[in-house]
Amino acid sequence: MNAQTAITEGHVDAPKGNYLTNGSTLASWLLTKDHKRIAIMYLISVSAFFMMGGLYAATIRLELLTPASDMVETATYNKVFTQHGILMIFFFLIPSIPAILGNFLLPLMIGAKDLALPRINLISLYIYWLGGGLTLFALMQGGVDTGWTFYTPYSTTFSNSFVMFVGLGIFINGFSSILTGLNFIVTIHTMRAPGMTWFRMPLFVWAHYATSLVMILGTPVVAITVLLLAIERATHVGIFDPSIGGDPILFQHMFWFYSHPAVYIMILPGMGVISELISNFSRKKIFGYEFIAFSSIAIAVFGFLVWGHHMFVSGQSIYAGMVFSFLTMVVAVPSAIKMFNWTATLYKGSISFDTPMLYAIGFMGLFLIGGLTGLFLGSMGLTVHLTDTYFVVAHFHYVMVGGQVIAYLGGIHYWWPKMTGRMYSEFWGKISAMLVFVGFNLTFFPQFILGYQGMPRRYAAYPEELQVLNIFSTAGASVLGIGLIMPAIYLTHSLIFGKKAEDNPWMHPGLEWRTTSPPPTENFDVMPVVTWEAYEFGEESGLDLEGAKRRDAATIA
Amino acid sequence: MSTHETSDKFVYHEPGLQHQFEDMGQQEESVSIGMWMFLVQEILFFGGLFTAYLVFRSKYPMAFAAGSNHLDAFWGGLNTLVLIVSSLTMALTVYYAQKNNRSMQVIMIVLTMFFGAAFLGVKAIEYTDKYNHGLIPVAGLNKKIKDDKTAHSTGHEKPCWEVDHNAPAVEHPNPRGEFQWTDCSLVKLAQDKNYLTESEKTGYFVKDETGAAKIDPDKFRDKVRIFFFLYFVMTGLHALHMVVGLGLMLWLLWTAFRGHYTSEYYMPVEMSGLYWHFVDIVWIFLFPLLYLLGRHFLAAH
Amino acid sequence: MAEQHEEHHEQHDHMNIPKYIGIFAILVVGTILTYLTSFWDLDSIFTGANTLLALGIAFTKMTFVMLFFMHVYWSPRLIWLAAIGSFFWLAIMFAYTMQDYLTRGTGTFSG
Repeated sequence: MNAQTAITEGHVDAPKGNYLTNGSTLASWLLTKDHKRIAIMYLISVSAFFMMGGLYAATIRLELLTPASDMVETATYNKVFTQHGILMIFFFLIPSIPAILGNFLLPLMIGAKDLALPRINLISLYIYWLGGGLTLFALMQGGVDTGWTFYTPYSTTFSNSFVMFVGLGIFINGFSSILTGLNFIVTIHTMRAPGMTWFRMPLFVWAHYATSLVMILGTPVVAITVLLLAIERATHVGIFDPSIGGDPILFQHMFWFYSHPAVYIMILPGMGVISELISNFSRKKIFGYEFIAFSSIAIAVFGFLVWGHHMFVSGQSIYAGMVFSFLTMVVAVPSAIKMFNWTATLYKGSISFDTPMLYAIGFMGLFLIGGLTGLFLGSMGLTVHLTDTYFVVAHFHYVMVGGQVIAYLGGIHYWWPKMTGRMYSEFWGKISAMLVFVGFNLTFFPQFILGYQGMPRRYAAYPEELQVLNIFSTAGASVLGIGLIMPAIYLTHSLIFGKKAEDNPWMHPGLEWRTTSPPPTENFDVMPVVTWEAYEFGEESGLDLEGAKRRDAATIA
Repeated sequence: MSTHETSDKFVYHEPGLQHQFEDMGQQEESVSIGMWMFLVQEILFFGGLFTAYLVFRSKYPMAFAAGSNHLDAFWGGLNTLVLIVSSLTMALTVYYAQKNNRSMQVIMIVLTMFFGAAFLGVKAIEYTDKYNHGLIPVAGLNKKIKDDKTAHSTGHEKPCWEVDHNAPAVEHPNPRGEFQWTDCSLVKLAQDKNYLTESEKTGYFVKDETGAAKIDPDKFRDKVRIFFFLYFVMTGLHALHMVVGLGLMLWLLWTAFRGHYTSEYYMPVEMSGLYWHFVDIVWIFLFPLLYLLGRHFLAAH
Repeated sequence: MAEQHEEHHEQHDHMNIPKYIGIFAILVVGTILTYLTSFWDLDSIFTGANTLLALGIAFTKMTFVMLFFMHVYWSPRLIWLAAIGSFFWLAIMFAYTMQDYLTRGTGTFSG
C-alpha cells in the first residue's frame, strides 16, 4: 500500500506489521534503534515521574489546608516541595514533549526513516533512566531539602541531605537532554524528504529546532554548576562560601544561565503542539507561519539574556537588574506574536471542539495569564513585593501546567491514534479536559491573591487569615488530580478496547498522517516527495475530503 | 503528488552506510553536524568554569597572580608544545586516512597517543609537586609532614610579604595535610602601587588594634586556595577529556590497523580529530590564563 | 533521491603536509611568544596589556587550529555558524555575569 491510497481511502487495513508488532521480546524493545519505540519507552518513564511528582504535590496541598505545619514537619515539608520541583522539572517537564512527541513525530513529519543518529537516541534514553534512577535512589534514602534551585551556601555547607546524589542524578540527566537536542538539530538539517523545504516544515518541527538549540547551549552550564556544587560540598574549598571569599551569587548566575532558558525548553515544544492543534481544528492554514517560526528562534535566543530576573533581590547590582528587567519585557514579545497569530488562525476558521482542541484553547487562555503575570514579576518595583511569594508559584504553574502540561495532554490525545492505532473515548476526553481546566484555575488563581497578600512560598505554616484561599486551592488540586488521572485510565483502556484508528482521523495534510496508524518500523512504505505547503487543508495536498464526508455521513446514518 | 520507490533490498550499499541514510553524503553531513553540536556543548561546559575563573580573577587578581607565579610555566609551556605536536600528528592521521595510507595512519595515531600520554605524564608530575608542597586546596589531601617542633622556631616571625623568591623551597610542617600558603608579597606590592580592587581591599585585610588595615595571611591564603581550586578543576576536567581522547585513539588505532578506513570512508578519523583538536584548544586557553597571567609582577622585581 | 548532500573529499586537497607543518610552526611560535612576553611588564603601557596580549595570542592559535586542523575553512556555513555561535554564547555568559560584578557599589544606589 502506498502513501497515495493511505490518505484517499482511509480504510482500516487488514492486520499488517507495524512498529509495535515488529519484535515482541524485551530485547527488541530495550535494544531498539526505532525512534518510535524509544518514544513509547520515554512515555512510560516520563508518566511514572509525573505521577511521583504529583504525589508530592498532593502532599503539599494537603499540608496547606491548615495554617499550622501539622501534617508534616517543616524539615520534611522542605524535602517535599524540593522533590516535587526536581521530579517535575528535570524528569517530566524538560523531557516530556521532545522525548515523547518529538522523538516519535519528527522523522515522520519530515519524511525520514528515523532520526539521524538512532543509537544516540537510545543512549539518551539509557542516560535518562540512569539519572532518574540515581535521583530516585537518593530520594528514597532521605532526599534533599534545599529547594530545586540548590542555592548556596545552604546546599554546599549546611544541608544534611543527599545533595550530591541528587546533583549527580541531575548532572547525568542533563546529557540525555543534550543528546536529544543534538539529534534533532542534525535530523532537521539533513534528513528532510525531497521537497520538504525549511518553510514547508510543520511548526512543531521549528519549535523543536529552537528547543534543541537551547538544550545544547544551556544544559552544559547547569551541568558544570551542579558539578562544582558537588565538589564544593565534598571539599569545602569555598568558592560559594562568602566567609572565605567565595561568592554565593556566582552559583545563582551560573544556575540561572541554564534554568531560565530551561523554561523555554519546556514551553517551546508545547507551543509547537498548539500550532498544530489550532490549525487542524480550525481547518485553516496557520496565520503568519514565518512569524511563528522565527519567533521560536527569537525566544530561544532572547531567553538566554534574561536570567537575572530570578536574582533581583539576591544582591546583584541594581544596574544589572535594570538590564535584565528591560530584556524580560523584550522576551515577552515573541510569545505575544504567537498568541496573536493563533488567534488570527482561529478567526473565520471552521472550529471543532474535539478533545485536543479543548486543550489548545485552554492553553491559550492559561498561558496568556501566566505570561502576563511574568511581566509583573519582571518589573523591578513590583518584584520586591512579590518575590518568593505565592504569586511566583502561581505564575510559573500557569505557564508550566496551564501551558506545557496542557499542551502535552493535547498533543498526546491528538497523536494517540497515530502512535497506538486506537481512538480514545471522546466523551471521557472532553470531561477530563474540562476537569483539568476548572481544577487548574481553582488551584492556582487563588495563589496569585495569596502571593499578593504576602504568603511566602516554601512555607508549611501561614497566617490564619489566608486559610480560605488555601482551601480553595487544595479543592481545586483534587479536581485537577482527577482530571489528570482520568486520561491515564481511558487512554490505557483504549489500547485494548478502543476503536481502531484510521490513518488520518483528523484529516490533516501533514506527512505523519500519510502512513498507517501505527506506522511501520521504517515509517513510510515509499519515501514521500513533498510538493505542497504546510497546513494546506484542501484537495491540492492530496486530502480526500469528499471521501471523509461520505464516511462521516455513513457513520451518522 | 509523486512518489518514488526505495527498496533497501536492491540498492547497493556503500560499506559503513547506516540504514537510516540515503547515501554516504547524507551520513557524512549528519555525523559532521552532530560532532560539531557536541563540541558546541563542550565549549559551553568549559565555559562555565571560565566564567567562574573570570569572576574570581576580577575580584582577587593578586591572589591569582600569586598562584600563577607558583605554577611551573616551563612544564606548562612544554605541555602546550606536546599537545600542539599531537594535534599535528592527529591532522596528519586524517590526511593519511584520506590518502588511503594505512601504515602511516597507524603510525600517526600511535604518535598522537604517545604525545597525549606524555601530556598526562607531565600533568602527573605537576600534581605530585602540588601534593608535596601543600597546594591541593582540600584539607587532608596534601602530603602530611610531621611537625618536627625542634626546627623552624626563629622566635621572631617574619611578616608574610618578606619572602625571598630566589631561595630554595623549604618544606613546612603540615601534620594534617592542609593547604598552605605563606607568601603575600604580591599583596604588599599591589598595596604600595595602589593596584588593589575593592574586593581585595577588604578581602585580604583585617583591622588591627589601631583600626588600620593589616594584611591577614590566612585571608589571603583562602583566596589563593580558590585559585588552586579552579586550577585543579579546570586542568582536571581537561585531563579527563584527554583520557577519553586516548580511549578514542585506542579504538581508532584498532580499526585503522584493521583497514576500516579508505579514501571513501574516513569520517570516524576526521570526527575523532575534531574532538582531539578541541581538547587542544581548551589547553591553549588554560595555559596562559592559569600559568602566565600575573607573572610579570614578580619578574620585574 | 534525497537532497544533494555534498561529499567533502575534494576539500581536503587544499591541505598537504608542508602546509600542516607550516601551521604547526605558527602554533609553536605563538606558544614561545606568549611564554616570553608573560615576563615583560607591559602593564606600564596600559593596565591589562599583558592579559590582552596573552589572550590575543591564544585566540590566534585557536583560530589557526580551527580553520586548518579542523578544516573549518572549507566547511559549510552551518559549521562556521556553530563555531562562531558557541563563542558568541560564551561572550553572553561572560558579559552578562560581569555586568553584575562590575556595577556593584557604583552610582546612586551604592552604599
